[in-house]
Amino acid sequence: MSNVVLGYKQSSFPAKLAIISGISLLVFAVIPFFIGSFQLSLLSKLLLFGSLAVSLDLVWGFTGILSFAHGVFFTLGGYAAAYYLKLNLSAANNTYGGELPDFMVWNGLEVLPWFIAPLRYFPIAFLAMIGVPALFAYITGSFIFRSKVSGVYITIITLAISSALTTFFISQQAYTGGTNGITDVSRLSFFGTEIPPIGLYFLILAYTTFVMALSWWLTQSNFGLILRSINENENRIAFLGYDVAQYKIFIWTLSAALAGMAGGLFVPLNRFISPVYLAVAFGTQVVIWVAIGGRGTLVGPLAAAILLGQIQNSAERVTQDWQLVVGVLLLIVVLFIPNGLMSLVPKQLRLANLSKPKPLPGTVKAAETTTTEKAQTEVAQTEPARRSS
Amino acid sequence: MLDSALPSMLSSPLYLLAQEEPAIEGGFQMTALLNQALNGVGIVGILLLTALGLAITFGVMRIINLAHGEFIMLGAYITFWMQENFQMDLLMTIPFAFIGTALVGALVELTIIRRLYGRPLETLLATWGLSIVLQGVVKLIFTAQLKYVRAPDYLSGNVTFVSDPTGSPLVAISYYRLFIVVAALLLLGITMYLFYKTSWGRQIRAVTQNREMAKCLGVNTKLVDMGTFAYGCGLAGIAGAVISALKTVAPPMGQDYLVDAWMVVVTGGVDKLIGILAGSFLIGEANAIIAFILNDPTARVIVLASVIVLIRYRPEGLFTVQKRT
Repeated sequence: MSNVVLGYKQSSFPAKLAIISGISLLVFAVIPFFIGSFQLSLLSKLLLFGSLAVSLDLVWGFTGILSFAHGVFFTLGGYAAAYYLKLNLSAANNTYGGELPDFMVWNGLEVLPWFIAPLRYFPIAFLAMIGVPALFAYITGSFIFRSKVSGVYITIITLAISSALTTFFISQQAYTGGTNGITDVSRLSFFGTEIPPIGLYFLILAYTTFVMALSWWLTQSNFGLILRSINENENRIAFLGYDVAQYKIFIWTLSAALAGMAGGLFVPLNRFISPVYLAVAFGTQVVIWVAIGGRGTLVGPLAAAILLGQIQNSAERVTQDWQLVVGVLLLIVVLFIPNGLMSLVPKQLRLANLSKPKPLPGTVKAAETTTTEKAQTEVAQTEPARRSS
Repeated sequence: MLDSALPSMLSSPLYLLAQEEPAIEGGFQMTALLNQALNGVGIVGILLLTALGLAITFGVMRIINLAHGEFIMLGAYITFWMQENFQMDLLMTIPFAFIGTALVGALVELTIIRRLYGRPLETLLATWGLSIVLQGVVKLIFTAQLKYVRAPDYLSGNVTFVSDPTGSPLVAISYYRLFIVVAALLLLGITMYLFYKTSWGRQIRAVTQNREMAKCLGVNTKLVDMGTFAYGCGLAGIAGAVISALKTVAPPMGQDYLVDAWMVVVTGGVDKLIGILAGSFLIGEANAIIAFILNDPTARVIVLASVIVLIRYRPEGLFTVQKRT
């Protein structure tokens, strides 16, 4: 898209956006050299939680599907990584010497189950981190979205999914380590060299940047417009001939894959994974980050996850009643700032505005209207319905 | 927060209750099955009791109330507090639990819910925030320590239907479980009477069917909303008071009942109050029987999966007259 003014062509390259995101990336790249090891691992963790929140923002903020199951996708990716790291413990570090993880020995398993064994190879484990949550999301998504089930019931279904999987993982002690989950995993290493915490931090930073960039590109594209239109007025989009269910299934699956990969990176950092992250409480935590940060803003959820995590970290030294503060904050945001904290940021500083080229006086639109603009006019025609579902 | 999530998950009611009375090994499979079915009746009672309040707040008012479990918890704490300070009988504390939670409910409606009518997802978030706040406040007042409530002596013991030659019971249900079932049915009956036979109930139904028209005809819709929500919360309080004797009272206890109560209401359908009787019966018995054939966690997973399938095909619940929209 380019604006043409007599002999002058403005680049469509979003210079302001590039500068601001470049600066923030630089800040995150420099920070680790100035903080202690505890802060480093905390920040790595919060970046991952931020990516998770962004993945939920894709389905909730943009498409309007409120999900409590994103903790589930995160944890499924996490378990894939945990099996990989557990199976790659050197025999000396393994409690019982053999190749079998300790919790399987305790539960009387004698051979490695066939569905876990391949996870010892990195490419397969890597695929599983993304593929297993994505496949699970694809199956559930195809099942749910190809029906007339509406907003609130989908949310209740995600609650049930989370609750059922938690029970399932706890009950399958021999395969999942039960309540304790998979603990004492080996450190992540590449070709024999162990990755130091700072390396892991940069890996996570790179992933978070990737998630942000992908989500940004996706939501600014034609596809993103359709997602937002589904949120605004699903029926109208369906009448225009779009297969709404297919769009929902796609974004649901993609979001699960992003969440799963975040979970996969979480395990080398956290050194364990357990059904705690499957439970409804963690799924709610993700929802809270997005709600407080601001739905449909991408930056908001990421910032909220990092800020709340930092505040929690310092508040927990003073009081045990940190959750009370989160609850009050959530109530205030929902009642008084329904679009989240990002809506308090001045308009000029929002991502969507930063990327727009400055309007020139007497601008003439390029002759060929791009498809993006067509879709934009379509959206503009739909009445500004409340983003309530 | 994450650490506290797990124990509460583990002690999820369906999971725990079925484990308390394991099926007796050996002997007739038939008596064991019967015993399990009877055990299921106990679960049905608890489900019915805990879901009844939600059937009002969600079923009638369409408020996505995720703080329902916390109102149950409040009821349990009121019972605990009265028993601790006034040595009151558990049954005597029930009216206080009802009034106390209903007052809190009215306050919540006035300050939070009222602003969010017609915005279901915002309501959902707000009530979740509320549940965190209520847990936090209770934790501040009573600390996170587990509390115990005594069941009245005259409700201890078992009703035995079949016993083996040595006299140990094969098919039995405790008086207290029986009391829960009776109390749940009684409350359901009272609620149905209030809804379908009194002018207050008529007003509630009028407001839910056509708010504008009801307003035109002089119904004070705001007062009706507040009263109905308070009543639903009061019922949750009663559930909490009755259940407090069965398990320990702690701030996160409400979470255990939330998902189950939702499943019951969604299964039964929200059109008719009687639907939740069917919903709790189906879920409770299915859970008990499947747990008997396989095991408890599997039963819970199967039941939850079936509820998901059910929502997919009949989001309006099993026992609702299909309407064309």
